[in-house]
Amino acid sequence: MAKRDIPEINAGSMADIAFLLLIFFLVTTTMDRDKAYIRPIPKKVEIKTPPVELQQRDICDIVANSQNQLMFRKELVKDPDEISDLILEFFRKNEKLTSAETARLAMDKSYEGFDFPFYNRFGMAEIDQKIKETTEEAEAIEKVDGADPALIEYYWSKVKEWEKKKSALKLYAKPELPEISPQAHIRVEVQIKTGYEYFAKIQSEIEEALFELRDDAAQKIWGFGYGRIITRLGNEPADTEYLAKKELLELLYPARIIEVTPKK
Amino acid sequence: MSKFKKGGKKDAPGVNTSSLPDIVFMLLFFFMVATTTKDADPTVEVTQPTGVRAEDMTPFKQRSEIDFLYLGVPRNKARADQFDMGYALFLDNVAQPSPGDLYNVNTVRRWKLDKFDAKPDRMKQPLKEVITCVKADEKAPTGIIFDIRKELQEIEALKLAYAVKDNSNY
Repeated sequence: MAKRDIPEINAGSMADIAFLLLIFFLVTTTMDRDKAYIRPIPKKVEIKTPPVELQQRDICDIVANSQNQLMFRKELVKDPDEISDLILEFFRKNEKLTSAETARLAMDKSYEGFDFPFYNRFGMAEIDQKIKETTEEAEAIEKVDGADPALIEYYWSKVKEWEKKKSALKLYAKPELPEISPQAHIRVEVQIKTGYEYFAKIQSEIEEALFELRDDAAQKIWGFGYGRIITRLGNEPADTEYLAKKELLELLYPARIIEVTPKK
Repeated sequence: MSKFKKGGKKDAPGVNTSSLPDIVFMLLFFFMVATTTKDADPTVEVTQPTGVRAEDMTPFKQRSEIDFLYLGVPRNKARADQFDMGYALFLDNVAQPSPGDLYNVNTVRRWKLDKFDAKPDRMKQPLKEVITCVKADEKAPTGIIFDIRKELQEIEALKLAYAVKDNSNY
């Protein structure tokens, strides 16, 4: 029997099939990305501890009331876009002071930056000393019979904190690591009827200010922006070099945000 | 004695369409790759406020580490009175018995735990790590968002995200 040619398959309807699929995907998909501000919720505390004494200068409170007016540190804000600049001022006012100046001006009521948080500066020797001290403390606690594991954990976490600062200072490559007062924080207060758009605006302004602070620092240290670090970590989440960079920037400008639950 | 033929009407040659499927496939693949599927069509009206420097939620979505809830006025206005201050919650539907139904804040806890339980073990992240993303209408009272926050705090789902519309691109 003669060998017969295999008949060719008619591919004329391929385009139709592809069109059908194309239209299906066109209809069922959305192009806009979901963007949001991620905020941690503090753990619920069972035991009531006495509130920590806070200094007024460490609080950066932003209030939005039910009439949708905005207040920044007790003063009415006309234009919501100003908030990010005010936050920048909050961080930058006393940033450049040396340790000696800080000690002097923190007592001086007539100083214009008196109401802004002050910075602590740590040299390498000081950090090493702290690591030594905290390690000794932790070891001493560990030796005590029947010591609470949570307490031991707490003491070791302190050691880790100082070690983090040590590696951050190495990366910073300056004689001193400036650190904003550990109690300095941004406090967002709203009322029940405050519109979400105002709450979101405050969050947006905070994020804008933090980005600018970190971006400036990154430009000064490495010559490229914070955005590049974020993008890099987006593609390569385990890049230790960039993780360390991000950690340093977060130590310099921490995002300590407290959201106050509105009263009924 | 001319070299050129004159007259004689000729048909226009047909356009070769054999590369049409290739073109269409290319478009198809572009759309398949560039888009994310919409998993729920909320029955509440949500106009998001705008913001800048917001974080992209796509990576969390791909790892299904995120639950969405919508807060807005019900599209069916007659139903608004049933809800606290007229704003209802629409929860993204995985373990939801009747999709499209609207809820008050007190169901958030059940919904989170049900979704957590419904996930296969190998994909499970600790509940603490699963982000809850609130897509609220710009006029929605913030008090409700803080109620949601409190519910989440009770079950120790400690990551909350406030959604905004962010048109900038970086």
